[in-house]
Amino acid sequence: MSIQFKSITELRAMLDDKSISSSELIQESLQLAKKYKELNCFVTMNEEISVKKASSIDLNEKTNSTLSGIPLAQKDLFCTEGLRTTCSSKILSNFIPPYTATAVEKLEDAGSITIGKTNMDEFAMGSSNETSFFGNVHNPWKKGYVPGGSSGGSAAAVSAGIVPAATGTDTGGSIRQPAAHCGITGLKPTYGRVSRWGMIAFASSLDQAGPLARTAEDCALLLNAMSGHDSKDTTSLNSNVPDFLENINQPIDGLKIGIIKEFDISDLDADVQARFEDSKKNYESLGAQFAEVSLPNISASVPTYYSIAPAECSSNLSRFDGVRFGHRAENTNDLNDLYIKSRSEGFGDEVKRRILIGTYALSAGYYDAYYKKAQQVRRLIKNDFDDVFKSVDLLMTPTSPNTAFKFGSKGTQNPVELYLEDLFTISSNLAGLPAISIPHGQVNSLPVGLQLIGNFLREDQLLNASHIFQKNSDFHLAKPNLEDF
Amino acid sequence: MDQETVRTICYLARLEIDEEKSEKIQNDLETIIELIGSLQNIDTSDTEPLFSPLEMTAFKHEDIENSDNRKDKFLENAAASNEDYFLVPRVVE
Repeated sequence: MSIQFKSITELRAMLDDKSISSSELIQESLQLAKKYKELNCFVTMNEEISVKKASSIDLNEKTNSTLSGIPLAQKDLFCTEGLRTTCSSKILSNFIPPYTATAVEKLEDAGSITIGKTNMDEFAMGSSNETSFFGNVHNPWKKGYVPGGSSGGSAAAVSAGIVPAATGTDTGGSIRQPAAHCGITGLKPTYGRVSRWGMIAFASSLDQAGPLARTAEDCALLLNAMSGHDSKDTTSLNSNVPDFLENINQPIDGLKIGIIKEFDISDLDADVQARFEDSKKNYESLGAQFAEVSLPNISASVPTYYSIAPAECSSNLSRFDGVRFGHRAENTNDLNDLYIKSRSEGFGDEVKRRILIGTYALSAGYYDAYYKKAQQVRRLIKNDFDDVFKSVDLLMTPTSPNTAFKFGSKGTQNPVELYLEDLFTISSNLAGLPAISIPHGQVNSLPVGLQLIGNFLREDQLLNASHIFQKNSDFHLAKPNLEDF
Repeated sequence: MDQETVRTICYLARLEIDEEKSEKIQNDLETIIELIGSLQNIDTSDTEPLFSPLEMTAFKHEDIENSDNRKDKFLENAAASNEDYFLVPRVVE
């Protein structure tokens, strides 16, 4: 029986009833990665170690971990000891980390096996996976179309059924938007829920790691393993981690869902709107109640983000200087020349653009007008969320204004065009809130995602509402036709 | 934003922009600055900045040494090093 397109829960059952061994599972997953090489999901494979780990799991009969022997892919910005970690950038194309990120370590401690590192937008800066030094990732649903970004390789690998799940990171929508474009489920947890230690930083007050999987149930399973306090990350929350599977089956009768007045979806494609209205009706039939709510400052999310994120990026990326790790330019005159040439040769255009914007926003004379101002507006946005969560449990929006688009069709003339891809996802990063994207149908044979935003630390409610939706629909079971690859 | 400002920011960020891309970069930066400039219309006179969604104080932990000396491992990733140090072009003549 093929393992392709199976969820973690299904693979666990196959391993437990011995219809497959862990070694066979890992071998097949690795073979699928090779068969669909043209998708360009992976930057580096971890074949030898994966095979060894699987065979050691097979030899050791006793296992009580659901993730034991399950193949996973890790976004290539999680440091993995001894395994190349590039952030899909030339500047890190030779970097072998001396340690492993906490989120990955926790998943591996639970028995999962990292089969490879996935392609992404360079340093997670992008919404289409077109900024990677290692080339574009194709959307498994349509060749030549973007998978979304920045966790595009992870989303495509799960969508193509190569692995049942993968890790991603989400700074402004980088888990949810690719999950939506590839027809899978992706969860951005509350800021601080999952340790950022060993994640190569883009914007430290916005970055958060999370799972991409075929179902909300699998996301809950992975979040159980990934979450928890980490003394190595000073922004890691020291709060109890619930069992996210415990209440996932609870009826959602009486669940109050808010529709954000300021997001006028009548501007969107008629079919994207229709899917949204259908899902509203689905939720109503499951017992949820809808109310229109107002977040007066949410429309300022995109400009707020594009001041804060580049500012934090310019500061974080100053560590890439060609001295201690990463690409170093040759034939340099002096130390300053070495910095300038190494960075200029090592970074791609989008990364440079964001470093420059951030440098400008933080420079003398502009700091108050751009950076501080954005952080003040950020508080107004967060206050708006605090107010609406007094009257509703969740908020619902489309994940993305549109479906996946053709390579090169957006943002080449005007970068802001691509920035607007994240219109619905950015605000939850600014406020640190958890949010999930689940598939809810197709438009022109391409998947469309539905976003639910939860209150602080209420991933349980998001996962419950998503799981009940998936139990009563089959959108998440749709598979891409991969015959072009 | 004029060419001189672009040159200053590039220097501050230790980046060099190809001559043929410089006009495009200047235009892109102007477009983005215009986008973030739209925030000026929002009244934030009584609002404190929110630098992190958590607004908590960092946790303290015992100040004890907890890692091995892994100097060799960290030096391995450098393009140039000797037994003890990262090597860079001469700074002092």
